Amino acid sequence: MSLLGDIITIVAVSAGAFFFLAGTVGLLRFPDTLTRLHALTKADNLGLGLVVLGLLPQAASLRDGFKLVSIWLLGLLAGATVSQLIARAARQGESAR
Amino acid sequence: MALKAASRAAWFLCLWLVLAGADPADIPAAAAAIAAATWTSLRLLEPSTARRSVRAIGQLVLLFLYHSVVAGTDVARRALDPRLPLRPGFVAYPTRLSSGIRRNVFTTLTSLLPGTVPTGEENGQLVYHCLDVEQPVVAELAAEEAALVRALYND
Amino acid sequence: MTEFLTAAVGFILAMLALGLVSILRGPGDADRMMAMQLIGTGGIATLLLLGTVASLPAAIDVALTLALLATFASIAFVKKGLSSLDADGTAPTEPK
Repeated sequence: MSLLGDIITIVAVSAGAFFFLAGTVGLLRFPDTLTRLHALTKADNLGLGLVVLGLLPQAASLRDGFKLVSIWLLGLLAGATVSQLIARAARQGESAR
Repeated sequence: MALKAASRAAWFLCLWLVLAGADPADIPAAAAAIAAATWTSLRLLEPSTARRSVRAIGQLVLLFLYHSVVAGTDVARRALDPRLPLRPGFVAYPTRLSSGIRRNVFTTLTSLLPGTVPTGEENGQLVYHCLDVEQPVVAELAAEEAALVRALYND
Repeated sequence: MTEFLTAAVGFILAMLALGLVSILRGPGDADRMMAMQLIGTGGIATLLLLGTVASLPAAIDVALTLALLATFASIAFVKKGLSSLDADGTAPTEPK
């Protein structure tokens, strides 16, 4: 059981770290503000989500697990709100040119 | 109405217990926080009369997770590809959701889906920015909207 | 397991350092704010990992607070900067 948990942790945290890598690389390489915004949303959504998923088997109690998931949901809500607002602002900036 | 308030207060109580833990010394603070949160939520988000189906909500969550992983992998692949294969552009999506809260919920949900970022509205259509305009973006958005309507706005 | 999670913390911190580069590079304020957002999320992930590795429940609470505050920082930025925002930094130099 604990072995299975450890495997889940290793796989999910590695995948999460990979999405942080992809998000950062995207932020550095993508050509304009809106495409960079895509890269950012990915790291927010999947990177944090997979890290949280990976930590769930290591959580000491059920409450700790729920707490991790709540933090992820808060992060999602933040990312969703902010990315829309930035996208709106960036597009207005583009069309004003 | 009282029932709705009680059910929301119960959700906030659960959230408090998860985040702050159960400690008898916290009861006054918890009661104040839950009352304030319930009042705010009822004020900002009026109780909806639509029927909600747990099964449809589950399907929405699964569809959301599936789209997230598939499209997130796609974006990661593009970011790490040395040739940087991007065909960015805007796509207009005609939504049937009424403007206001429903449409905002939809744009919030879809802004989390990798590959699409809502950038505002034009002539009643939602304008999305996509990394690759040749992907079937509109079809995916339509599937997401249908799932959302089934889950929350089935009236 | 501890070694693996510590390595993951190191890796994500390295990504955050790269994020700092993109704050320096910009070019626009929106890009810097996005890098900030990425660093905030990465910071949350790092704190969660550290909290688990070192059995520090307080680190998880710090991550929770950071998740709440990051939202407000970004919303304040967009509200304040909406009118004067230049999307990718090229706008001011181009003739209208």
